[in-house]
Amino acid sequence: MNLPTLESINLAASLPVLILAGWACLLTAIDLFISPERKHWTAWLAVLGLLASGVALGFEAVAYSQRGAVSAFGDMAVVDGFALFLQGVFLLSAFLGILLALNYLPRHNIERGEYYTLLLFTTSGMMLMAMAADLIVVFLALELLSLPLYVLSGFAHPRLDSEEAAMKYFLLGAFASGFLVYGIALTYGGAGTTLLSGVVEALVGGGPAPNPVLAIVGMGLILVGLGFKVAAVPFHMWTPDVYQGAPTPVTAFMSVGAKAGGFAALLRVFLIAFPATGDTWGVVIAIIAALTMILGNVVAISQSNVKRMLAYSSIAHAGYVLVAVAAARYPEVEPLAVSAAVFYLLTYAVTNLGAFAIVIALERDDGTGVEVEDFAGLAKTRPWLAIAMTLFMLSLTGIPPSAGMVGKFFVFQAAVQASVGDPLILTVTIIGVLTSVISAFYYLRIPVMMYFRDGEGQANVQPALGVALALTALATFLLGVVPAPFLQMARHALLTLAG
Amino acid sequence: MTITPVTIAFAVLAIFTLGGGLGVVSSRNMVHAALYLVLALFGVAGLYVLLEAPFLAAIQVLVYMGAIAVLITITIMVTRRIMGITESVNRQWPLAAGIAALVAVTLGFVVLGLFNGLLPVADVPPDNIEQLGAAFVSHQAYLLPFEVASVLLLAAMIGAIVVARD
Repeated sequence: MNLPTLESINLAASLPVLILAGWACLLTAIDLFISPERKHWTAWLAVLGLLASGVALGFEAVAYSQRGAVSAFGDMAVVDGFALFLQGVFLLSAFLGILLALNYLPRHNIERGEYYTLLLFTTSGMMLMAMAADLIVVFLALELLSLPLYVLSGFAHPRLDSEEAAMKYFLLGAFASGFLVYGIALTYGGAGTTLLSGVVEALVGGGPAPNPVLAIVGMGLILVGLGFKVAAVPFHMWTPDVYQGAPTPVTAFMSVGAKAGGFAALLRVFLIAFPATGDTWGVVIAIIAALTMILGNVVAISQSNVKRMLAYSSIAHAGYVLVAVAAARYPEVEPLAVSAAVFYLLTYAVTNLGAFAIVIALERDDGTGVEVEDFAGLAKTRPWLAIAMTLFMLSLTGIPPSAGMVGKFFVFQAAVQASVGDPLILTVTIIGVLTSVISAFYYLRIPVMMYFRDGEGQANVQPALGVALALTALATFLLGVVPAPFLQMARHALLTLAG
Repeated sequence: MTITPVTIAFAVLAIFTLGGGLGVVSSRNMVHAALYLVLALFGVAGLYVLLEAPFLAAIQVLVYMGAIAVLITITIMVTRRIMGITESVNRQWPLAAGIAALVAVTLGFVVLGLFNGLLPVADVPPDNIEQLGAAFVSHQAYLLPFEVASVLLLAAMIGAIVVARD
């Protein structure tokens, strides 16, 4: 038996994930020695872990720009531009997620140190997901991502809607994981390996005794399992109830992190392992994308609870990213479509976290205050909050000058390129543009409420929340007006076959 | 046939297994039935050891005697209506008897076939546990999934405690 060496494991390349997961384990123990009144120390220690991981990620990004992609742990993981970019998005979301929770938890009397350690665990699951190059690692990363989120969505127990959210999320999530595992098992049966690079070889015809039918059925089941995580129609049923019931900082983090994690797996598994069956899944994903955009945007119109509205909006945004995924099956469009997808996830992350920060500012201690009417008159009482919220809503709609507009433009650009000779993608792109117009109706209702209706407009912005708000608003604005450097980074976010 | 320690061990384990099984179907108290089931499962684990399948034996103890037996016991304890049942035969017994007979015939066929040389005896590599262990720590194989699974279990445990604690 040959013992592993540092070079063969490629420890340096996986350092960002290792630091975060290791720190999460340590922090679990450290938290025991922090007295209940000082649980914000745990939060800052968690931020420290995120920072350390971020520094390692920075070094890794510099190394990547010099030597390209490398694989780690045999071929189980691959560190490429795609992984590095998304890992950056996850770290940023986790940092903002902690800032959002810092004042919220004591205000709602649910402050416990485990909140921050579980947040670190789920973040390390997401980061692992971005670099997983083996179906077993994909599954384990998905579970590491999901399990802490199930607990976090029930963190406000014994508040009933929080318990309901956790229960629904857990049961349906476990069900979806079952689909994913079954799909992985069938793919293994069909291809004889769980390595993504091995699956593609077997399907193209190089491997021994491949069974394409099994692999295609397995692929379908994997799509169901991941479709649940990204909240794509028809696997979206859990989303509104869970988003509404979970504590708002958890909802904010979940809507961004879990979705991006699901898309990380979706993009890598389908583009790396199943390019040979692109005709099959391309059509399915394009149809799912159309359904997701239509249902998310249309149902969001009738919502009066802002958390619920943002839940449907999150379903709709999954649809836009799916358009990019469907477009990515054409090899000549793939680089553009993949960078469009990850850039879209970045813009969605900063915008949505910002929008939820405002919801947190408005939310009262008993969990009310998150109806659309509660925004009335906010422009008079809190003008800066109103400006920030308007910016976020413009960004979610896709109106300049905002991040969302650049993201949508990039996705549709990739889709239009792919639609040459593919009427289905063209149709889906047109549906995407039309549903964006529909979405203006419900997003812009909030600015109208803030500026043109009279009301009390109460809000409570505590320091950490204020910092999170300023950061997200600034990022949303900057990504909208000077997107070039970030687009440049996204262009390097390429998928690489392990090896 | 000579009597060796292995034969004696087999006989004892067989008595455990069959006696346990008999206890499961004949005892009137559901909790007792569950305990008899644990005994039967223990006997099977011992038989695996005799068959030189230590990995299966370990899994049998961990999964069946540990997790599943606890699960069954807890299920019985939280289901009050089952706790009150005292008669050991209900109306579905002909169906159960039929299925049991079917399983007995099938297993009998397989076992007798093995003895008469009709079916090939599987050839198990002797050091399969060693291979399994090596695969878990080999960087070429499952080192990363193994480590991630550990972190995952830790996270799940913390999560379970957070949910359970008030």
